[in-house]
Amino acid sequence: MTNLLTSSPRLDAVTAVATGGRLWRRLLRHGGGRVGVALAFILALAALIGPWLTTDPDVPDYTNKLQPPSGGHLLGTDLAGRDLLARTFAGARMSLGAALLVMAIVTIVGLVVGVVAGSAGGVIDTVLTRVMDVLLGIPGLVLTLAIVGVLGPSFFNLVFAMAVTGWAGLAKVARAHTRGAGQRPDVIAARMAGAGPIRIAFGHVLPGVVSLLVVAATLRLGDTVVALAGLSFLGLGAQPPTAEWGRMLSDARETLSVAPFQIIGPGVALMLTVLASTLIADALRDLDEPENRR
Amino acid sequence: MIRLVVRSLAQAVVTLLGGAVITFVMLSASPGDPAERILTARGQESITWLQIEALRSELGLDRPLPVQLLNYLGGLATGDLGASWSTGRPVVDELATRLPATLRLTVASLALAVGFSLILGLVAAAGAGRFPDHVSRTLSMFFLVVPSFLLGIVILDVVVVGFGVGVVISDGSWSTVLFPALTLALASAASWSRVLRASLLGARSAPFLTVSRARGTTNVRRLLVHELPNALPPFVTIIGLEIAFLLGGAPIVESIYSWPGVGRFTVQAVGTRDMPVIVGFVMISITLFVIASLAVDLFNAVIDPRLRRR
Repeated sequence: MTNLLTSSPRLDAVTAVATGGRLWRRLLRHGGGRVGVALAFILALAALIGPWLTTDPDVPDYTNKLQPPSGGHLLGTDLAGRDLLARTFAGARMSLGAALLVMAIVTIVGLVVGVVAGSAGGVIDTVLTRVMDVLLGIPGLVLTLAIVGVLGPSFFNLVFAMAVTGWAGLAKVARAHTRGAGQRPDVIAARMAGAGPIRIAFGHVLPGVVSLLVVAATLRLGDTVVALAGLSFLGLGAQPPTAEWGRMLSDARETLSVAPFQIIGPGVALMLTVLASTLIADALRDLDEPENRR
Repeated sequence: MIRLVVRSLAQAVVTLLGGAVITFVMLSASPGDPAERILTARGQESITWLQIEALRSELGLDRPLPVQLLNYLGGLATGDLGASWSTGRPVVDELATRLPATLRLTVASLALAVGFSLILGLVAAAGAGRFPDHVSRTLSMFFLVVPSFLLGIVILDVVVVGFGVGVVISDGSWSTVLFPALTLALASAASWSRVLRASLLGARSAPFLTVSRARGTTNVRRLLVHELPNALPPFVTIIGLEIAFLLGGAPIVESIYSWPGVGRFTVQAVGTRDMPVIVGFVMISITLFVIASLAVDLFNAVIDPRLRRR
């Protein structure tokens, strides 16, 4: 929910780190960064192979409902007797997959709009920048809520709404980077060699911006997962019987006082996702400012 | 200074206008005929084609889209958001009756968040690298990673239901505001305290503080008298920018605690696809964000002379 990443020094940090190269190795040498990467790896593993190790997450078994954690059901079962570990794994696939899809879309849109605005300048730049500022002026969750209101509540519409609202911050980064690139030696050399503005934009500026935006978008993955889960929690995203972390939490609410263990799976999974994302983001900022390293 | 104010005001007007256009597009793009829905909402059993046409021309829905947009903007400027599609009553009235509860929640969580973030940030900076810093940073990290809805259901179902502290259904008054406000505040407090800590440590590296230390001032005096004022602009900026995001978090927290505010009302409106209500909430959020940004710009210009010269 916080909009830190679109307005904070963190993005400047990302600029330096993403263009500095060998990002991966430096990240793994940073203590917090290593933990974050390890957590992200575990979560990805849970999403990829978890569902193969467990039973079908959607098949009810009413003779086994609300069973506390045991050898047969490591995280217990829900009101319909469905295995909560299986549902948490399936939820990982759902939540992380949807968040990645949102990030992919906003990165591409942000990239195109930002590079176009930054290279074109003039009226086009002014108009596009105004659009970005307006979008950044509306709390993302509020606008997402409104778009879901227009389209109707469903997980697909929620993902679409998040993609529509999320690109402005990234476009601003791409635009700033594109404008700054005009004075770079290789760009000046290309211009002197007779390359046109479009060729410079796509051949010389775009490749550098891509890696930058991919990192910036990755940093928002945690926030995106939480926003998806939050709106699904309100019943405006994933619909039953879909296993999705936010939806699982809201399904568990009615019986939580007799079976509190139900929040362990989706709750811990959500927290680990945000923790991984925050640790990696912090590590990247530290890497950019060596005096902050500890 | 005057140029700064003019530029901030122009930015505010553009944002409001842009938001109005976006919401107009949403209203026009949403399915269903507003006139028919309003008539149904007013409890009419059999709706004739004539009544629908009459209301359509009364609402101006038979006019060309550009004219509708101008009417819509004129309505917004005079505080008219149209009629709710599910109750048939004016949206402004519906929101006005629920706004005080939301403002109470927002003010209470803002106070809690500012208080907590000041404590966490100052403690962390005072004992940087030592035990208090570790405790403060661990707490911040914890509250940062717990989503508000998870915190909300844990507080409601463990503390309120389990231990019988507080009430399950809030009536929106000050006496029940604590738990909802806490739920909304903790994540913001955590993120703000991190900003405050970082800028306090940044302020510490200024040369005049070395001089100050050489002259024998105490650590506490340096922290509160020299470092805190210099660390304020980033802290105030993030608080100002995120006030609107506290309102953005209201739908989730209000829904959990059955808080009778505009956030919960809007979530219900999304369920019934009551677009005018949703649009009203969006416009309130934008207005609040614009006012907060203006206030931040002015506040920073007042406390930081360097900004005034630009």
